[in-house]
Amino acid sequence: MAAVRTSSEITFNRIAIVIVLLVTIIFLAPIYWIASTAFKPRNLATTIPPTVVFQPEISPFVKLFTKRSQLRNPPTPEEYAAAPWWERVVFDGGEKIVRDGKGEVQWSGYPSRFLNSLIVAITSTVLAVGMGTFTAYGFSRFKVKGEADLLFFILSTRMLPPVVVAIPMFLMYRAAGLNDSHLGLIILYTAFNLSFSVWLMKGFIDEIPKEYEEAALVDGYTRMEAFFKIVLPEAATGIAATAVFCFITAWNEYAFALIMTNRRAQTAPPFIPSQVGSGLPDWTVIAAGTFLFLLPVAIFTFLLRNHLLRGMSFGAIRK
Amino acid sequence: MRKLVTSVLAGVGLALACGTSVHAQEKSLTIFWAEWDPANYLQELGNEYEKETGVKITVETTPWSDFQTKAFTEFNAHGDAYDLVVGDSQWLGAGSTGGHYVDLTDFFNKHNLKEVMAPATVKYYAEYPGNSGKYWAIPLEGDAVGWSYRKDWFEDPKEKEAFKAKYGYDLDVPKDFKALRDIAEFFYRPDQKKYGIAIYTDNSYDAMAMGFENALFSYGGELGDYSTYKVDGIVNSDKAVAALDAYKELYKFTPPGWAKSFFVEDNQAITENLAAMSMNYFAFFPSLINESSNPNAKNTGFFANPPGPNGDQFAALGGQGISIVSYSQKQDEAMKFLEWFIKDDTQKKWAALGGYTCSAAVLKSPEFQSATPYNKAFYETMFKVKDFWAVPEYAELLQQLNQRIYPYMIGGSGTAKETLDALAADWNATFKKYGRVK
Amino acid sequence: MATTMITTLDRSSRAAARGLSDISIRNLFIIPTILFLIVFNIFPLIYSLGYSFTDFRASTNAPANFVGLQNYRDLLNDPYVWSNFAITAKYVIVSVVGQLFVGFGVAMLLNRDIPFKGLITTLLLLPMMLSMAVVGLFWKLLYDPSWGVINYALGLGNFEWLADPKMALYAVALTDIWMWSPFVMLLSLAGLSAVPKHLYEAAAIDRAGPFYTFFRITLPLVAPILMIAVIFRTMEAFKTFDLAYILTSQPTAELISIRLYKMAFQEWQTGRSCAMAYIVLIMVLAITNIYVKYLNKVKER
Repeated sequence: MAAVRTSSEITFNRIAIVIVLLVTIIFLAPIYWIASTAFKPRNLATTIPPTVVFQPEISPFVKLFTKRSQLRNPPTPEEYAAAPWWERVVFDGGEKIVRDGKGEVQWSGYPSRFLNSLIVAITSTVLAVGMGTFTAYGFSRFKVKGEADLLFFILSTRMLPPVVVAIPMFLMYRAAGLNDSHLGLIILYTAFNLSFSVWLMKGFIDEIPKEYEEAALVDGYTRMEAFFKIVLPEAATGIAATAVFCFITAWNEYAFALIMTNRRAQTAPPFIPSQVGSGLPDWTVIAAGTFLFLLPVAIFTFLLRNHLLRGMSFGAIRK
Repeated sequence: MRKLVTSVLAGVGLALACGTSVHAQEKSLTIFWAEWDPANYLQELGNEYEKETGVKITVETTPWSDFQTKAFTEFNAHGDAYDLVVGDSQWLGAGSTGGHYVDLTDFFNKHNLKEVMAPATVKYYAEYPGNSGKYWAIPLEGDAVGWSYRKDWFEDPKEKEAFKAKYGYDLDVPKDFKALRDIAEFFYRPDQKKYGIAIYTDNSYDAMAMGFENALFSYGGELGDYSTYKVDGIVNSDKAVAALDAYKELYKFTPPGWAKSFFVEDNQAITENLAAMSMNYFAFFPSLINESSNPNAKNTGFFANPPGPNGDQFAALGGQGISIVSYSQKQDEAMKFLEWFIKDDTQKKWAALGGYTCSAAVLKSPEFQSATPYNKAFYETMFKVKDFWAVPEYAELLQQLNQRIYPYMIGGSGTAKETLDALAADWNATFKKYGRVK
Repeated sequence: MATTMITTLDRSSRAAARGLSDISIRNLFIIPTILFLIVFNIFPLIYSLGYSFTDFRASTNAPANFVGLQNYRDLLNDPYVWSNFAITAKYVIVSVVGQLFVGFGVAMLLNRDIPFKGLITTLLLLPMMLSMAVVGLFWKLLYDPSWGVINYALGLGNFEWLADPKMALYAVALTDIWMWSPFVMLLSLAGLSAVPKHLYEAAAIDRAGPFYTFFRITLPLVAPILMIAVIFRTMEAFKTFDLAYILTSQPTAELISIRLYKMAFQEWQTGRSCAMAYIVLIMVLAITNIYVKYLNKVKER
């Protein structure tokens, strides 16, 4: 900013701050609403006017993790007293926890799907960013025949609506027995993110001065060593930014998870809306599922936020 | 190249498949169904079976919105993840001709299920093609579209008086479609945030079709001739046109924003004090008599779909039969489970747990009919239900119906006659394509 | 783009003798990715090209019959399919332009000394971290005239966001704008922070107006990165499925992906939907090709 500030500039700055705050509030309102619903008693979830002050409850999370069904007969006082607190919470909501033949509490699909999401999203992000970085380096530093066409080809693989690829993919996976497996989803998401990763990483690596490596090569490093010891650390910020985007995409992917997986490998996004199933939606449970599912990706982004902001402007600044 | 890739993929897939099938040694059966309470009741029934036989029953569920897709992707992949599936009645054609379901005809005849189960359930949940005597499923969960209503609104003396003054007859549970319409109009008061009626309008799958069928069948109309596949002159008959107009008329009295409504929204119309009457599947009524989920539980009543102008009374069929998946490795185990399931005792237990049994004897028993406020209406309905096409291409027919009727219902374009004429032409073309008509 | 090539290693040098040659490193780095993408993107497409000429249905065991161009002919003669394309085009334009305005606007405002700038930027990214399906579900609730918060907060009474056939598509686009403007904002911020400060100072000395400064300095310098944002957002908007599918079932808001999903996975018309997929594919390729050409032009300037 210029050292001398006119009064109109200061006023404008203040107006800008107010607008930014307003926009932030508008953008965050739905998120706040989801997060607060995750802790509401069920009967306050959809009130108009919305309930802002309430006694937070943990019951939506208990319900999220267990399989429940409508209570047809209220529990006897003895049953109620004998039940652990988490079961009482469910009783209070007019439901009971479903148990299997041995009396074991039935978990809902949420925990296992959450775990599947973690496995699939992390593995595919690592693969996509890793392969993307190598390939971007290859394109950035070496002469490649038909480079523009190849890069366009790589980009084009991301253009297809998932439903377009889903049909042949489905047939192919069926033939190969990859349906409903972690590996199948990991491959899909890696392929999905790879183009984005190559394009982004190429931008970052292009901006790392070649002189760094040349100096290293003169010092007797091999090309490989130069890549790992010089280029990778320089590109760390870009890698972090790319990883955030790839992770967000893989973490939230819905259409393929819906079509390609059934039970062994199904991820959470198709599961969370399923709580709408029993005649009346329990918005508190859906919100709880959404809230928990947002946490890992929000934390990941928050931890890498400096890289993300810097990473995005990385290339441009160096110009 | 292609061969190489396929074989590499196959190798990897095989390795994974071996890895996952190691712990499938203990005796167990997996049943696939949609995510809703009856599936939980079935799990409880399965627990009983485990106690008796040691065979563990797991009911796997998925949301309604992708139930069809999930089931058929698994079938089409020839997957053995599910041993049994509780499938929609419309699936019978695709399930049987596609080779996904095991033929249960012998089982059916051996146990004389034609007599044991309510006739409509046998006809629509089990037999394909119609009147062929071939059976592919055991009726498991009966269901049909019925109505819930606000007893307190209906019984308010002031309302009763005002209604009588306006329409010349008493405000009561509607005796026919005209009364349904009048009551809906009567309670339609946007200024008080009160509305007349909640109906199905969602066109992403079969919701709107089921809602329309409720009017169509009671008006004496039909979707077509299920044995000759003739549709022209049937689905666009005068009766059908009148029925579509009647259903569109009801849309006028729905709460605002009622353009993508299915069972969830219709139940909410009752719990959120929005509508006087609400259409829904019987299977979704349990949450309406539960005070924790419905603050108006005490004031909610139920009735069967009313007759049309000529006294015909029918309702759209929901519900499912249970079939054995032909890719299952445990078909014998599955068969044993079905033998147990059709026993009278089991059917009684099933009803007591909250399942809508299809056993004629249990349905007729007074215990069943008095068990819940809606069981009687359910019993009445289950003997007069009709269903959508069950041919393998039913989803195309459904899509064509949605495509034609929705713009007329919601967007108000064209007339009922034009809409149904166009639909008849679409359907005829589809049947031609699959060689069912010349 | 790096146009000049790095000096190749002297063949006789110690390092070259020890390590892999540049050519093999290049191949090692590039070929696996290309192969991977070919196997998992091109191979399925070849597979489906074959099916697009048949009446194959994956839901039956019946063999596929060759029907020539019948599927393509039927689809291109189907007025519903054309309306799906028109709807998709409208949707893409509305939502991408909206995101561009909001995202770039917020970035312009944020590109100054503002307290907690980093925190605000990170918080603004939250919407795009949610799953589209969940966003659709909650926005359907928020839009509801009877129990939704939006009409209450804005005092809109019974305004029908999703039930009005004319409004539904815009309501979906609005949700998409809410979700993805942060993405455009992030890229714009990157571009903006890279504009050399001395250019602004020079403009200030010349007493250039704010409009002149914006159109002559800011915009041209940010344009390349904005183009990237537009390319990615256009591609994503074209693909929109879950969000629109969950929010509304209005025929006036039936995007091409939804039609395709129904055809492929509800009706199981596998052959025909493969043909449809090809029509979509050709369109997207054409659009992106134009974009990328334009991007390269912008970059050269």
